[in-house]
Amino acid sequence: MNGPDIVAAGRADDAPLEEDFEVAAQRQSPWRMTVRRLLRHRLFLMGLGLCSIILVAGVLAQVITQTDPTRLAMRWRFRAPGQDGFIFGTDNFGRSLWSRVVWGAQLSLYIGFSVVALNAVFGTLIGAAAGYFRRLDNALMRVNDALMAFPAILLAIAITAVLGASTFNAILALSIVYIPRTARIVRASVIVLREMEYVQAAVAAGAGHWRILRRHILPNAMAPLIVQLSFLFAYAVLSEATLSFLGLGAVPPTPTWGNIMAEGRQYLVEAPWIITIPGIALMITVMGLNLLGDGLRDVLDPRLRIQQ
Amino acid sequence: MWGVVLRSILGSLPVLLIVSLITFGLMRFSPGDPAAAIAGMSVTSEQLELIRKDLGLDEPFLVQLVKWYGGLLQGNLGRSILMGQDVLEVTMIRLPVTIALSLYALVLTLVLGLASGIIAALRQNTVVDQLAMVFAMIGISVPNFFLGLLMILLFAVHLGWLPTGGYIPLSQDPVGWLRTSTMPALSLALLQMGLLARITRSTMLEVLRQDYIRTARAKGLPSRLVVVKHALTNALIPITTVVGIIISLSISGAVVTESLFSIPGMGQLLTQAVLNRDYPMVQGGLLLTTTFLVLVNILVDIAYALLDPRVRYERS
Amino acid sequence: MAGTGWGPLGLAAAMALVGTLASNSALAQAFKCPKVGGDFVFGQEANVNSLDQMTSTTISTRNVAMNIFEALMARDENNNPITDLAESFTETPDGLVYTFKIRQGVKFHNGKAMTSADVAASWDRFKRVAAERNILDNVEKWETPDAGTFVVTMKKRQPTFIEFISSFSQPIVIIPSEHKDDASQQLRTVGTGPFQLVEFLPGSHVRLRRYDGYTPNTKYTERTGFGGYKQPCLDTVTFRIVTEPGARVAGLRTGELHAVEDIPFISVADLKKDNRITILPLENWWVHIASANSSQAPTDNAKFRQAVMALLDNEEIMEASTDGNYKLNVGFQYPHQASYTDAGKEFYNQKNATKAKALLAESGYKGEPVVLLTNKDFTSMFNAALVMSQQMQSIGIKAELKVVDWPTAVQTAAAASPSPGWNFFFTGYGTQPALGALATMNFFMGSNPNYKPKPGQEDPVLKAEWENMNQSTDPKARQAAFVKMQHRILQQALVFPFGSLTKVQGVRANVVGYKTFRIPRFSNVSFQ
Repeated sequence: MNGPDIVAAGRADDAPLEEDFEVAAQRQSPWRMTVRRLLRHRLFLMGLGLCSIILVAGVLAQVITQTDPTRLAMRWRFRAPGQDGFIFGTDNFGRSLWSRVVWGAQLSLYIGFSVVALNAVFGTLIGAAAGYFRRLDNALMRVNDALMAFPAILLAIAITAVLGASTFNAILALSIVYIPRTARIVRASVIVLREMEYVQAAVAAGAGHWRILRRHILPNAMAPLIVQLSFLFAYAVLSEATLSFLGLGAVPPTPTWGNIMAEGRQYLVEAPWIITIPGIALMITVMGLNLLGDGLRDVLDPRLRIQQ
Repeated sequence: MWGVVLRSILGSLPVLLIVSLITFGLMRFSPGDPAAAIAGMSVTSEQLELIRKDLGLDEPFLVQLVKWYGGLLQGNLGRSILMGQDVLEVTMIRLPVTIALSLYALVLTLVLGLASGIIAALRQNTVVDQLAMVFAMIGISVPNFFLGLLMILLFAVHLGWLPTGGYIPLSQDPVGWLRTSTMPALSLALLQMGLLARITRSTMLEVLRQDYIRTARAKGLPSRLVVVKHALTNALIPITTVVGIIISLSISGAVVTESLFSIPGMGQLLTQAVLNRDYPMVQGGLLLTTTFLVLVNILVDIAYALLDPRVRYERS
Repeated sequence: MAGTGWGPLGLAAAMALVGTLASNSALAQAFKCPKVGGDFVFGQEANVNSLDQMTSTTISTRNVAMNIFEALMARDENNNPITDLAESFTETPDGLVYTFKIRQGVKFHNGKAMTSADVAASWDRFKRVAAERNILDNVEKWETPDAGTFVVTMKKRQPTFIEFISSFSQPIVIIPSEHKDDASQQLRTVGTGPFQLVEFLPGSHVRLRRYDGYTPNTKYTERTGFGGYKQPCLDTVTFRIVTEPGARVAGLRTGELHAVEDIPFISVADLKKDNRITILPLENWWVHIASANSSQAPTDNAKFRQAVMALLDNEEIMEASTDGNYKLNVGFQYPHQASYTDAGKEFYNQKNATKAKALLAESGYKGEPVVLLTNKDFTSMFNAALVMSQQMQSIGIKAELKVVDWPTAVQTAAAASPSPGWNFFFTGYGTQPALGALATMNFFMGSNPNYKPKPGQEDPVLKAEWENMNQSTDPKARQAAFVKMQHRILQQALVFPFGSLTKVQGVRANVVGYKTFRIPRFSNVSFQ
């Protein structure tokens, strides 16, 4: 759950390294270059493949499933995978696991994407504000530190206890947990960029703060942010499943993977497929996203390109 | 160096204050009622009201806040509503359980994670390297509750090698402790192992390419010696940071793992406390846990400073 | 005599029965442990937070604490009130004074001999901290004329008094007088029971040890209910908290656990094949229920509630809730109880969609949302709500699930009438039906999660019959009042009892004397 910390940990500390400045140079090279590099990256392609499977399943859920994932059919309870034409078997209510897991893909991606989007907006805003306006820095970072000092999953649990369990509240809780981490990374980049000569030149030329941030600083702070967000996606999906598993995510009978597994743990011994199938789907998704993140980091963050 | 320590401690005080304020607010604004948790299944509204009054929950928010901070200043964290025990006392029983589990997981992580990371780096781009990295990737992609359930199914239900859950303290019976802690520690460690293996590998690769290593090799020093002496010592710096993060990861991961394996640690205690709205327990317990994590981070900072003299200047 | 009546309703009969038993038992041989020793491990589903039997009414507390503490009165195997720490008691003809003789030679776990002073102190604490302290509201005073006598004086006659103070819902357990001022949930765990506390670690386990100074009640020769001739045989009993059902089953299989509660139905067939394990179904564990909120539209409309009642397929609901561990059951008592009645059976399990639609049309329902308030902490309640919502949707009711955690659900449903935000609240009646009709019908007085009339609009029939049930000295008249109440509740569709849930326990075959009861009892249990 603390995952994105590790991304930061890979950077040893917040102190900027010379290589970060290459980002600026990289920006001049055409967008196509980056894409080409990515497409040459084997692991990135593997991640893309895994994610595509889940993405296609999620987007086409309506088309590729025949049964309503929430419709009960008590006659068909506990069918093993393959039995009676149920590819993935059925659960304790006789609902097709194929339907539920496929619809679960849609929800997982939706929740993951929402958390990433909220992080992109608010993490950037807070991080940029703290990094650029020195006067705000101390206050913002103290609150940030406090939120990061909580064991992450406990904070999410406490927040959902206040707000109540629902898909929307799970997104909100996970965003509150992760935004401080994103903000920290943005702040670190902004602090470095703020001191760059071309930025100082723009200040001297009388450009407004907003213009400087928008034109000169944020575009150059994008690379580490994108890398962070790709890993964040993976952790958001994982954490949402954990929250659902603890009964604090989307409200059942909503078919999220965590919900399916939480219901299946009752039948661990007799019907192990109920937890195994969504578990594997979850693993594939997280692995795909991690591989994408690796690829993006290798290509976008030149400091670590050495590994290639 | 002592400056670093002092600054870290002073710097953490406002953080802890904000932590306690957030916790207090979160708990008081949550719907639900600790009285319901005490009263059991079929309680009447009248009885709920009685219990609430007994517990002082009918007092205004601000009065409760002032009372709590007043107690805190006197070193009194209050009593758990549900268990009737002193919060500090309960925490002192439960925290060591989680710490022991985390340390076990940490040892597994360090041994397996470091070893596979180093081997992968030394055998870069070979089958060994790829295999190690595939396992590391699986490690960081499997949710720990899923892994825990699969292990219960395999090792406890089908093979019968290990107990399905429960906890025997290390001081009471070391073998029993190993038997009850191994599955939970493994399910905690796999994620961290994967992370550490990956970070060790990339750090090692980076260091191995540094000029002084190349020089040492060129001077004809045996390759293995070079690695151990130079590369590993340098790689230790980022790894130390990771260790701090890993401990806080363990505490977080323990929330799910401890519930799954019925281990009476801090994670299970706090989860139950949140779910039952045991306000003093959540407030006090979270404050103590975050204090512990902050202390761990300060220790990491110190270790960091000891390992890398440059840090002293950079940080000041 | 024994045939005439079941305890609380035939109280006089029951008391006479106690006398008969007592005189018989003197002749028979008292129970003797077939074997002494052994460490027993019980796999318990729910966490134990506190062993304060006076304030915590959760089942998990009772599971452990009822082996440690005892009270003046208890219930026997058939739920009749019997004396336990009291040697005997008398009631004055006007019903205003009860005089209890205290059993001699009973010692607390700390070695102190129990006297009437301890009894008085225990009643004092109960009056101060217990959630059910109102059962003593009608008591004028209690006194201790001497060390062996405890006298209770009533404000006015209350024929149900003995039934209430013998209840195990929140028993008035006897504690040493020096623990009288222990705060709520903080009672020091010293009782007079057959086992004493060794170690308690919430979230993990509770360990009890045989109390060698235990003095059994020689009026009996065998354990019965929570009373009788109790004798600890095992060296230790450990209650281990094992929340995962799969883990409980596995533990029972490997012998790591000697007995477990709450075995999932799906595992039962397999376990039955294992001759090292005995499966013990504990029938009628609770009445599975949804209560309707009569203070909110559209459930304030009797026609609407009746439409839902006409529609329900209780078999489907119970099947999903319990995985098959259930029996259909009309009303609020169980067939083995003398107070059982099937009054109102014409309203139960009707499965009549045509009638439901007609009633729905009559009610003027216009598609307003109907909120089913349930929780995920109790899977069976969640499952019942899920199935019921789907049945309601099938005739065009806009049923919506509201899933929260248990404390929130209780708080929402307990909110004063008119209580907003819910129409049906899912719960279970566990202890009350077992205690009898009186305890259960208590739910229909005042406003609570189980009964939520609009302010000042309590059902007049229920009110009148409740008075009869409490004030009438004739057990038959009291039963008649209960029959009318149950009929009225079902006819008005105030609550929806789906059926009775069976809790399956399992025990290793080498265990002797383990008999299912609402609470596991470890006295008179030994290993082969």
